[in-house]
Amino acid sequence: MTKRMPAAALLLLIASAALTLMFSRYDYAHQDRDAIMASSSEEHSTGTDELGRDRTVRVAAALLVGLTGATAAAAITTLIAACFGLLAAFSPRSIAIVLLFVSDLFLSLPWLFLLMMARSLLPLTASPVETAVTTFLVLAALGWPACARAIYRGAVQLRYTEWMIYGHACGLRTQQLIRLHLLPHLRSLFLPQFLICVPAFIVAEANLGALGLGVGEPLPSWGAMLLELDNSALLARSHWVYLPIVLLVVVLLILESFSSEGGTNA
Amino acid sequence: MRNLYGRFLLLAGLALGAHAALSQAAPRLPGELAWVIRYDPKTFDPAKVDEQASEMVRYMTGGVLLRLNRQTQEPEPQLAESYNVSPQGTLIVFKLRQGLRFSDGAALTSADVAWSIRRVLAPATQAPVAEEFLSPAEVTVDTPDKLTIRVHLPKRVIGVGKLFDWIAIEPADRPSEGRVTSGPFTVAEYKRGQYVRLKRNPNYWRRDGAGVQLPYATGVRMDILNNREQEIALFLRGEYDLIDGLPADYFNLLTQKAPKSTRDLGASLNSEQLWFNQSSVAALPDFEKAWFLNRSFRVSVSQAIHRADLARIAYDGHATPAFGFISPANTIWHNNNLKYPHESTADAARMLEAAGFHRSGNQLYDGTGHPVKFSILTNAGNAARQKMAAMIQQDLAALGMQVTVVTLDFPALIERLMHKQDYEACLLGVSNAEPDPSSMMNMWLSSSPNHQWNPSEKTPATEWEAEIDKQMQLQASNPAQSTRKAAVDRVQQIVADQQPFIYLVYPNVLQAVSPQLRGVQPAILSPGLVWNIESIRRQEGSR
Repeated sequence: MTKRMPAAALLLLIASAALTLMFSRYDYAHQDRDAIMASSSEEHSTGTDELGRDRTVRVAAALLVGLTGATAAAAITTLIAACFGLLAAFSPRSIAIVLLFVSDLFLSLPWLFLLMMARSLLPLTASPVETAVTTFLVLAALGWPACARAIYRGAVQLRYTEWMIYGHACGLRTQQLIRLHLLPHLRSLFLPQFLICVPAFIVAEANLGALGLGVGEPLPSWGAMLLELDNSALLARSHWVYLPIVLLVVVLLILESFSSEGGTNA
Repeated sequence: MRNLYGRFLLLAGLALGAHAALSQAAPRLPGELAWVIRYDPKTFDPAKVDEQASEMVRYMTGGVLLRLNRQTQEPEPQLAESYNVSPQGTLIVFKLRQGLRFSDGAALTSADVAWSIRRVLAPATQAPVAEEFLSPAEVTVDTPDKLTIRVHLPKRVIGVGKLFDWIAIEPADRPSEGRVTSGPFTVAEYKRGQYVRLKRNPNYWRRDGAGVQLPYATGVRMDILNNREQEIALFLRGEYDLIDGLPADYFNLLTQKAPKSTRDLGASLNSEQLWFNQSSVAALPDFEKAWFLNRSFRVSVSQAIHRADLARIAYDGHATPAFGFISPANTIWHNNNLKYPHESTADAARMLEAAGFHRSGNQLYDGTGHPVKFSILTNAGNAARQKMAAMIQQDLAALGMQVTVVTLDFPALIERLMHKQDYEACLLGVSNAEPDPSSMMNMWLSSSPNHQWNPSEKTPATEWEAEIDKQMQLQASNPAQSTRKAAVDRVQQIVADQQPFIYLVYPNVLQAVSPQLRGVQPAILSPGLVWNIESIRRQEGSR
């Protein structure tokens, strides 16, 4: 029951966003220059932004971009973390130390500056979609060390369990043991790691966007829309400018309920 | 879980930044005026000023021989009772007022004036104003008596009078970084990152019509604050007396809350413009260089941009569409007969077709089959520019051009523009501190590093650039106003024809003044609201 409610809420949000994009008469980039910062109307149900772009469509697109990007990035980061953690757990001690040192080194890097650097290395003509893909790829590339540590710990504990020793004694090779026995056991560890990464990456993209370094215009993103909140002149003009932050918090709470559920199960 | 809530709090903090607790301004002393400067002054030495915060301090503290009246744009005698320029323009004679004193009580004589001028002209000082004298090393100053100063110039300098507005007279051999001055105020206290406090010069020479010694204000406190939200909140609380250079969206907010405080003076001297990289050393593919060098391409882009929309939306109506480099606010030099490409997307499309471009679906291609795609750089943190760039993106999409907008922090932007020439198009503004076109020479001469679309040309790359060079040199050297005006008009027309800079808007001068202030005479020239600081006073208890 506790799982179904947030899942249903999330599905409802995604379906609503997709339907909004499919059936809206406006493109997310379309500028209605006669309706700047318009309030709620038949034309624009939640008003428009500073360039006359339909806020409902942009929030819907941002939700899908954010969720898709963060989910893909979380999957990649969990995969990297799983490979790295397992490699360290089943390697000789000296190699494990080196691998763990590398992961610690990654953890200590100033990720924000790395993100900024990676973003600035993009060619200037990179399309908004390319900037979105790059942003989430960079997040994925930098987000794995903490997960890798957790997976390493779990794998090391399982490595010396009786059933693993028995498997070895029966002549199973390490790869077979990992594939057939270890991975199913570690699934309860991968899932919460993945679920923790999704909201973390959404928030990271929002923070980057708020710094002007995230997804390129005119593709909507949480970060770019949150920038509006930095201007009290805009806040005074329409209450709908709060819509992105409210929706973002709702999405994060839903995702958080998944990850805490996953963590409890694990 | 806690971590995530921590992130929520971070986001909430961002979201509610506008309502965040405001820091307290420093306490105001009785009779003191207060406003904001954006950053710490780099220097208090009036001879070495090269940025706005230091310039503001120099203006408040430095006594000058002549002061440019910011409303009439004519130099007026200050410490000098009178001055005379010889017919050849190579000798200027100043006569000082009787009984002048520095703030410490010492007498101010021609020796102090000569020392101050020589110091500014000396290469070791590296005073930015020295270059305006064309050959500063050859300028000589002598003092026949205690009240007379003669400045000999090797050759005529057009508009030489205004140069003395930038030379603060200091005690000879006792430079004090604003502590001992001949201007209305002296530097009393400076706290890095917090404020600069000036106090009244008790020996200031000037009196009002009733014989009351000026300045009226007992002092000035300039808080160092680079946060518009705080500045406006503190202005509304009465902690600050004025705001110069308000962004348009904040102007409207302030107008709603304090309608009697705000003023829109109309178009400023500043412009916002878009240009393409035409540098021969730019690391761009040849086909892209060919677009940017093509006049038809530039004119088509110019024609497709809806400037009225830019002014209305990006500046909330507080800007004026721009078609040339001299704003209509500059009534003396603006070319009223300027012919510029009219706004028409259809005509722009036809011009591109005639130039060999063709369209397939929503994409424009050049004659060699390359899709027309380019990026527009602008600086992060300037909402109006980012909005303009997004609007231009849509305007040019109507021609089939695919434009990406890239915002970079200022140092990264300047690195690409000035050093690497690594960009395709750029959207930035130009601030013109004074109306005379001679001050814009560094932008128009083809040999200049600030000739943005193609910097530091060894020889002019095109005939029209050679013509601009010639006309700008002519206006800078010819004493006849009519000849100068004709030359500047010609340059404006060439620029309108060739569109090396595609002018977009002239942002309006937006100001806010406390109803408690008396004697403010707003001007579009810097320092805008406080150019007549001696005559401004705060009337307590009349909000």
